[in-house]
Amino acid sequence: MLTTLITIMAIFLLLNFPMMIPLILGPLIVMLVYNSTVTMDLLMGQLLTGIESPVLLCVPLFIFAADIMTAGKTSERLLDFVGAFVGHIRGGYAVTTAASCTMFGAISGSTQATVVAVGRPMRERLLKVGYKDSSAMALIINSSDVALLIPPSIGMIIYALAAGSGVSVGDLFIAGIIPGIIVFLAFATYSIVYAKVKDIPLAPKANWSERFKYFRKALLPLGFPILIVGGIYKGWFTPVEASGISVLYALILEVLIYRTIPFKKIPSIALSTGLVTSAVFILVAGGQLFTWVLGYAQIPQQITEAVLGSDPSALYVLIIVSIFFFIGCMFVDPIVVILILTPIFVPAATAADVNLIHLGIIVTFQAALGSATPPFGVDIFTASAVFKKPYWEVIKSTPPYIIMLLAIGALLILFPELSLVLID
Amino acid sequence: ACGGGDSEESTGGEEANGGEEANGGEESNEESEGESSEGSGDGEFEEQEWQIVTEELQGEVQYEYAAEFASRIEEKTDGAITVEPLEYGALGSEVNQAQLLQQGGVEMAVMSPGFTGGQVPDGQIFSLHYFFPADPELTQEVLTNSEALNTDLRAKYEEHNISPLSFWTEGSMAWTSNVGIESPSDWEGLNMRVQESPLMRETYDAYGATVQSLSWGELYTALDRETVDAQENPLFFIESASFHEVQDTVTISNHNNYIAMTTVNTDWYNGLSDAEKDLIDETVAEMQEWVFDEQKQQNEAGLQAIEEDTEIIRLTDEQIAEFKEAAEPVHEFYRNEVEGIDPDLYDKLKEEIAEITGE
Amino acid sequence: MNIVKVIFQKVDRAFMKLEEFILSFSIILIAIMIVGNVIAREVFNSGAFYFAYEVSKFAIVIATFMGIGYAARKGRHISMSAFYDFAPFKVRKVMMIIINFVTAIIMFVMAYYTYQYVMFEYNTGAITTSLQLPRYLMAVFLPIGFLVAGIQFLRNTFVNFTKKASDKVYLGTDAVDYNDDKDKDVKLEDISSI
Ligand code: NA
Ligand code: NA
Repeated sequence: MLTTLITIMAIFLLLNFPMMIPLILGPLIVMLVYNSTVTMDLLMGQLLTGIESPVLLCVPLFIFAADIMTAGKTSERLLDFVGAFVGHIRGGYAVTTAASCTMFGAISGSTQATVVAVGRPMRERLLKVGYKDSSAMALIINSSDVALLIPPSIGMIIYALAAGSGVSVGDLFIAGIIPGIIVFLAFATYSIVYAKVKDIPLAPKANWSERFKYFRKALLPLGFPILIVGGIYKGWFTPVEASGISVLYALILEVLIYRTIPFKKIPSIALSTGLVTSAVFILVAGGQLFTWVLGYAQIPQQITEAVLGSDPSALYVLIIVSIFFFIGCMFVDPIVVILILTPIFVPAATAADVNLIHLGIIVTFQAALGSATPPFGVDIFTASAVFKKPYWEVIKSTPPYIIMLLAIGALLILFPELSLVLID
Repeated sequence: ACGGGDSEESTGGEEANGGEEANGGEESNEESEGESSEGSGDGEFEEQEWQIVTEELQGEVQYEYAAEFASRIEEKTDGAITVEPLEYGALGSEVNQAQLLQQGGVEMAVMSPGFTGGQVPDGQIFSLHYFFPADPELTQEVLTNSEALNTDLRAKYEEHNISPLSFWTEGSMAWTSNVGIESPSDWEGLNMRVQESPLMRETYDAYGATVQSLSWGELYTALDRETVDAQENPLFFIESASFHEVQDTVTISNHNNYIAMTTVNTDWYNGLSDAEKDLIDETVAEMQEWVFDEQKQQNEAGLQAIEEDTEIIRLTDEQIAEFKEAAEPVHEFYRNEVEGIDPDLYDKLKEEIAEITGE
Repeated sequence: MNIVKVIFQKVDRAFMKLEEFILSFSIILIAIMIVGNVIAREVFNSGAFYFAYEVSKFAIVIATFMGIGYAARKGRHISMSAFYDFAPFKVRKVMMIIINFVTAIIMFVMAYYTYQYVMFEYNTGAITTSLQLPRYLMAVFLPIGFLVAGIQFLRNTFVNFTKKASDKVYLGTDAVDYNDDKDKDVKLEDISSI
């Protein structure tokens, strides 16, 4: 049965079928063939159950907020601001890129939005000061992945959902902060060293009146994370509701204050959000069907027995989980990987006393890493499409980043405190 | 997958399947009472395997009930019939267990009456405040003997292919808050998090509180950050979900009980032999006393743990009378206004309760 | 003959506009519900938006299932295109025809099964807790969505046989394969993933 399931799913996946097809068809055929007592109604009901969770509502809303900010000028204000302060130091523009991606990641939940919103304007600036295109793109792709670690993060929301009850999205968000900062610091250090070694020319230093100007222009976007984190802390709204507040804030900023977006353009932005939402949520719906069938047929036990043995240590579980998610996301979209693999590994992780928040950070981190790793990481293809550069050019300079991220991944596994210290 | 037990079509208490960690999962039920095993052995029963699904985790009341039920059946049939108790999530974390039972995916289930998605609106009667006796022991007596429940309400569930064989309490509900609720006026202006429904809005409106809908997965944080001010649950569940950590007071209000039903798939049950039906009925009847003691013990243990860092408020009879007065108009609202309610069932049950409480 | 074609095109445009309205309105509705609920609670201490989560749930279900067909039209379903992208034109063409056709059939099968599910929900009489609406009203968008998607995937199949597709592969009726359209400017709305 397990072989049938894997075979069906692999074939449809590799043949470039829409991913909803393997997700729905695999479990459906397995149930029809092996468990015909379960009625089809019960299975179809899972498609609804999967997308009914109120926690999921923040996915479209964070995407909507990111879409509004991408259509507007939020990201460029951030770039100007950071650039005015650190642009003149050695590697300053690269540091600016990493910092801006981190900041934009902190207000959008999405890696792809960060690549488009920050990556596109930043690449031009990097090229202007003398960076090679491939190193500019490698920096952008990998820095954007921090968006998945810094709250809010759509990857974390989907993990929390797939991991089941007892995993709070709010806790995951907080747990991601330190790992996100570590990644940023590593990239910033690398950028400075790289600029020294390659002797990248210096950009002119901004004077204080310019700095003040850019600071003022960036003030409201900078207030964004403060409002979100502060509002959650003060109890004005929950982490899920924060997504709605993000939309409100983005609208106030871009439509009312900066007037970069005319009011009548909002429906077309919402349409693009709706399209992404549908494409993602049909996978979440199928993911629930898949998860249910896994549980019913007790497949996680079979897989974990085979992969992990009978009584694995926490460390061993985390290493295996890392490998599976890393490799999975090198090939397949992180949403799908998280939806499929999380329910398989959570029971084993629980049995081995792995903290599920810690596991969530490892999973999200590996998903981010894998999706930026050749051969097939989705971010590479996004960058290739967005920047219109051939595949090879995009991946040429990524190895140093991959190595840094692998090292940080190991740190996160060995020191759970890095993830957990901020939650109580 | 789930966002934390938000399968809550429940109108009764909070789902104890919010499923924080199973507390220990100690199994104390190896020996059973050992009496009454007439008709055991002798190959009277064919070898069979039944599954009984619950909405709670190992160690919690519903699961322990199912495990005890299983061991009794096995003993009585000399192992011919084995029953597999399933904890919440064993069949995929977010499965709608009522549907699974309805469609024969499992033979038996322990579920709360509200989990059937409003198919039987009369199941909401258990969430009325101060309708059943405030004393859980008397409530259990009503639940065990009431004809309105065990015949009339059962018939309504059977229209949906669910046969409730028994109703029992998992303990009375308690309110948690930071204000220390002692009288209806303490509710004034509070935001109460409870599964949203017209009846719940009316119920808390009667005290001057506002019902707020909030996703279950966010409740702990929302209480901690005072996004909402209060919630209700049975004690053992408040303890296992750690709500007392983020609330200053717990009011033992006895305003209603968290009710569970032992249910079977109607078609399946009707297809059983008389001996098998008797076996199940008899065991279910015996279990009423056992489960009352079990929940009592668990709720007392929960209370003890809560007491260590949270103020416990026990309402006096006078305070309860005050609440009861405020709640009674809602009973009429339920009887006359709530969609799909059978007033006759309400009246009959009310009479039966009056008989037992002697009011 | 020409008239039929014009009418068909008009109906197609109108239907696409309807899909677009449904998608964008669903998202805006969710934003209004969630923000409205926060404002009602925090500013007015009121439960006036008690229906917020339930309405949002409806909106997300509608957006998800009514969006399948629209995403198919725009060639925007998430897929693992790594091998496909490296394939030569003819192989890509054949693959896209097969993928769309097989997917269409699976969509129709799903429409049938989910229709059965709607009838099941209808017969149970289950209702939602907050607004007390019949649950089948939510379920009904599953078969509709799958049916529309099935038709769209069929159209995606046939568009690859038309004259305009002689030198291009079409991912959807409105989407030329990016491998054949390198000059197109890629925007955020062209990327479906997180
Ligand atoms: Na983020
Ligand atoms: Na969760």
